[in-house]
Amino acid sequence: MSSTEEPGKPRNLSERIQLLQDRIYDRLFHNYIWQSIFRSGYPNTPRNQMLVVATNVFLHLHPTRLQRTHVRVTYTYCLGGLTFFMFIVLTITGVLLMFYYVPSVDRAYQDIAALETNVRFGLLMRNMHRWTAHAMVILVFLHMMRVFYTGAYKPPREFNWVVGVVLLVLTLVLSFTGYLLPWDQLALWAVTVGHGIGGSSPYLGDEVQTVVFGGFEIGQPALIRFYTLHVIALPLLAAIMMAVHFWRIRRDGGMARPL
Amino acid sequence: MAVQAQRQATAAPARPRPKRVREEEVLVWPDLVFIEFISAVLFTITFVILSVFINAPLLNRANLDVTPNPSKAPWYFLNLQELLLHMDKAWAGVLIPTIALGFFAAIPFIDRSRHLQGLWFGTKYSVRITVVTIIYATVVSFGLVVVDAGDTTGTERFTRWIPSCAEAAEDVGWPCLRDEAGAEHKGIVSTKDISKRLEFEVVGVKWPEDLDHIAWPFNDSIGDWDLGFIGLGNIHGWGGEHLNIPAAIAEQVIPLTLTIVVFPGLIIYTMFRLGWVRTRRDVMIVMYTGVIFAYLTLAMVGSFFRGEGQDLIAPWNIKVDEG
Repeated sequence: MSSTEEPGKPRNLSERIQLLQDRIYDRLFHNYIWQSIFRSGYPNTPRNQMLVVATNVFLHLHPTRLQRTHVRVTYTYCLGGLTFFMFIVLTITGVLLMFYYVPSVDRAYQDIAALETNVRFGLLMRNMHRWTAHAMVILVFLHMMRVFYTGAYKPPREFNWVVGVVLLVLTLVLSFTGYLLPWDQLALWAVTVGHGIGGSSPYLGDEVQTVVFGGFEIGQPALIRFYTLHVIALPLLAAIMMAVHFWRIRRDGGMARPL
Repeated sequence: MAVQAQRQATAAPARPRPKRVREEEVLVWPDLVFIEFISAVLFTITFVILSVFINAPLLNRANLDVTPNPSKAPWYFLNLQELLLHMDKAWAGVLIPTIALGFFAAIPFIDRSRHLQGLWFGTKYSVRITVVTIIYATVVSFGLVVVDAGDTTGTERFTRWIPSCAEAAEDVGWPCLRDEAGAEHKGIVSTKDISKRLEFEVVGVKWPEDLDHIAWPFNDSIGDWDLGFIGLGNIHGWGGEHLNIPAAIAEQVIPLTLTIVVFPGLIIYTMFRLGWVRTRRDVMIVMYTGVIFAYLTLAMVGSFFRGEGQDLIAPWNIKVDEG
């Protein structure tokens, strides 16, 4: 840019400042390292604004352009995006909680109690994890209702709606598996209710209790199962299903609009 | 694809397709990315503030010997726990949720029209249908809970005319209710009483004792046959070794007929006759709204109206005995 023109001699102070600004901008954004990371220029022209979306792995889930009605907050209320954002917050706070937590019936409760009192921001992280988990369940329901009442499940988006139903189930199961981990009375007896419900499955009751809960009573086998499901198996599965969900929005022609 | 397009093109006179006008489109960067960023920031701030002021609950260490009264599932499963009180546990806990999820997944395959997508409440009466269904589902769910709640609500007065069975009577003809020794005589306080307390006799067949032990395939045995030798011995009978007709009627037929057939059918039929429900989309709106709000109502009942021993009581009277 400014390096290609021959800079004339600055005649006054404002021109000097302008020149200095251009140089700083050049140093920051037109250097070899910056351009190796961000291929497109600064998004101040429509071309660069589209490129910045298309060339960024995180932003490229979006199309580059969108109908004006779809950007209106009162159409989607951001519910799907916020559900995903809750998932990200839960992943971050969850990883931090894992540093201090051992999934053993002898230690789990003390670990949570110690996390709340001995670890800086430990209580805050646990609170955040708890409240965002509830929020994610609520948001996923609200998102489903938004999609339903706007008729956005209609062809060609039938399959993506089914993926959404699977994600609803995964969200509920993720929340439920996390419920046991503090190993307090609330956790134990809530999961005991679930254990009873699982045990009432026709023909497979005992098998469900053995496979999912590790026995006929909630103990160490249930705790380690729930922990493993909660921290790796289900989040991984949910992430894969979310990838499918987001991919299919684009493949099915973006958000639903009146024909 | 091409054939279909051709057929459509020849069959119907080409309706001018609304052109995608450039001016109606905005760039994702900055318009959408900005909204996403702001909403993420707002939610982060909200939850940080919330988490500073409200602590996540942590009760005493888990102890299998001390049962809190009432013990409750997480709020989003309290509706299933509520259903457990009113019907067979396999239906309440497993089959009804499975059917509900199956119904959700099936919606786009039942309502296949492409019309009115991308609009809030597309069909003519959909707002009205939704509002009426919300009220209906809430009232009916709550009403059913109250009627079937047990002896704290006084609803048993409807059936108090059914007499108490004579203490030593072996043969009863007319319907009577078996009261526990020393218990105050009450009418039918919950549907389950129909199989547990009600007794009568029709053409020599006694309810319930002649009907609660009928052989049933795929249990461990049929009559004297032991089915273990063909590997069926490990399949667990549903509700016991034998078919219990009174229990099946009280805990499956009556509650399921009411909740899955009668009440949904009634509202759909009424709205159809009123001319409000006209398309499959409308039917889906009634059913989806009904399921969601029944779920919500039962979760509310479970959260705020169930006290010690799962008795139905007012929210301000709930005390949890944590043991």
